[in-house]
This record gives sequence, C-alpha cells and structure tokens, in this order.
Amino acid sequence: MKTKKIVFFPAFKRVVPSDFENWLEDMALNGWHIERVRQWSSIIMIFIKGDPKKYRFVYDMRAIASKDYVSTYEQFGWEYMGRMASVYMWRMEYTDERPEAFTDKDSIISRNKRTIAAVSFSFSIFLLAALAMSIALIFFSDNISVNDRMQLIIGVIFFIILAILLGTVMLYIHKGNKQ
Amino acid sequence: MDEEKAVKKYLPMTETMFFILLSLQQEHHGYGIMQHVKQITNNRIILGAGTIYNSLSRLEKDGLIKVLSEEDRRKIYISTALGRKILKVEAKRLVELYENAKTLLEEPI
Repeated sequence: MKTKKIVFFPAFKRVVPSDFENWLEDMALNGWHIERVRQWSSIIMIFIKGDPKKYRFVYDMRAIASKDYVSTYEQFGWEYMGRMASVYMWRMEYTDERPEAFTDKDSIISRNKRTIAAVSFSFSIFLLAALAMSIALIFFSDNISVNDRMQLIIGVIFFIILAILLGTVMLYIHKGNKQ
Repeated sequence: MDEEKAVKKYLPMTETMFFILLSLQQEHHGYGIMQHVKQITNNRIILGAGTIYNSLSRLEKDGLIKVLSEEDRRKIYISTALGRKILKVEAKRLVELYENAKTLLEEPI
C-alpha cells in the first residue's frame, strides 16, 4: 500500500484560497496528511498516509504580520502548519461544526483583497518578463542563436500562460468578493 | 485619526466592530474578546481568529484602541477615549433606529 504521495505545484493548481483549503481538507479526509508547510510547499507537497481526519484548513496571506499574529490564532485552537511565501497555513481538527477563522463579510473581503494584491504583483512580474523576452525576440533576433531564440520563445509562452492563469484567478476572486 | 474622520470611516458600524469595541471598554486579549462577545450575544456571534486579528489591527492603527500590556506574545487591548466616543455615537444611532422602528410597529396597519 502506498504510504507517501507527492503532489507537484499544488498551490499553482488551486490558486483560489478556498479551493486550496478544501483540497487539503479532502486529502486529510482520505487519510493524506502533511506535517509542515514550508517555503517550497507551493511547488512540492509530500503527504503521508494515516488515519482519515476532519481538519479545517485556513489559508491566510499576509505580507506583514505582527508578533501576536501566531499567538492570536493559537489561542483559538488553530495549529500553525507553517508558511509558504507570504501565506500562513493553519488547521484545526473538528467533529461537528466546521470552524472558521474569518467570521464576517469584511474580513473575508479583506483576505481576498490581500490575495488579489499578491496575485496582481506576480501577474505584473510575469507580464513584464513576457514583454521583455518578446522585445528581445523582435529587436535582437538577428544577433542571437537559434537555440537562444527557441529558449526565449518557450519563456514567452510560459510567462504568458502564467499571466493568463493569474489573471483568471484575480477575476475569480474579484467576482467572489462582489457576490 | 480625528473624530470626524473616524465617524465617517466606522459608522454605520458592523456588528463585529461594535461588539469588539464594546468588549474593549474593559481590557481584553483577542481570545478574551471572543469569549465576551459570545457571552453577551448568547452564543449568536462567535468571532474567528482572523476576524479578531484584522479588526484589532485596524482599530489600533486608527487610534480607537491601544495596547495596554503584553504577556507571552499576547497583547492586552483597551479602548481609547476616541474609541469610546465613536462607540457612543454609534449607540445613539442605534437607539434612534430602534425608536423609529418602534414607532412604525406601533402604527395601525
């Protein structure tokens, strides 16, 4: 029987916070658990097989958190899973009522806005990278080798795909905020 | 933040803000606020950690509450004079709302 499961790019496949939280919850319900969330967890996540458990996960993006941030969550019974980039991950085991960290409309909107801001930043970087590579291809293609040209084309396609993906996520979260 | 700006920013107040500010007329830490609000609303409102953290950060930044002390990385907060003023303005608004609603209900259909 498999005791370990490796998932690549988990956070890239589920960029919307609630999708990522629900996916981790489903994994735990099927007995797949993560011990810690680390900086590289958005790229690779290792799950260990155990007993199925009902966990509520919380994805909380914060560029800056004051020193009482972690202790506030811990007082409420949340277990700190770790951080990947600016995302703090929390979980809480439950039986009946599903626990919530954000209990009013304002704080849900505020969390979504923080996520949109971070996604917009990455979106701009990817778009700029695609633009810079396109300029290099258009204006300097005579001076670069066929191999380098191919790499630039692949780079442009890669960054455009990422920008489209992040743009879609921004729209999705924005739509969710309006609702 | 001056009173006029605070009134514009916080009124009408959300239930969450109202009860947090009301709880902080006495000193409390984040978890203590949740317990107090749960008690005075007969378990109707149970504030989450993220909501409390966001609200406290915002209220502190705008000068409606302040940190009284820190124990084991836990901050103990209390309302400032500005916070109390804003809460009273909101309370007056709610009383006015209540009086008007009452008049409406007393009128024959």
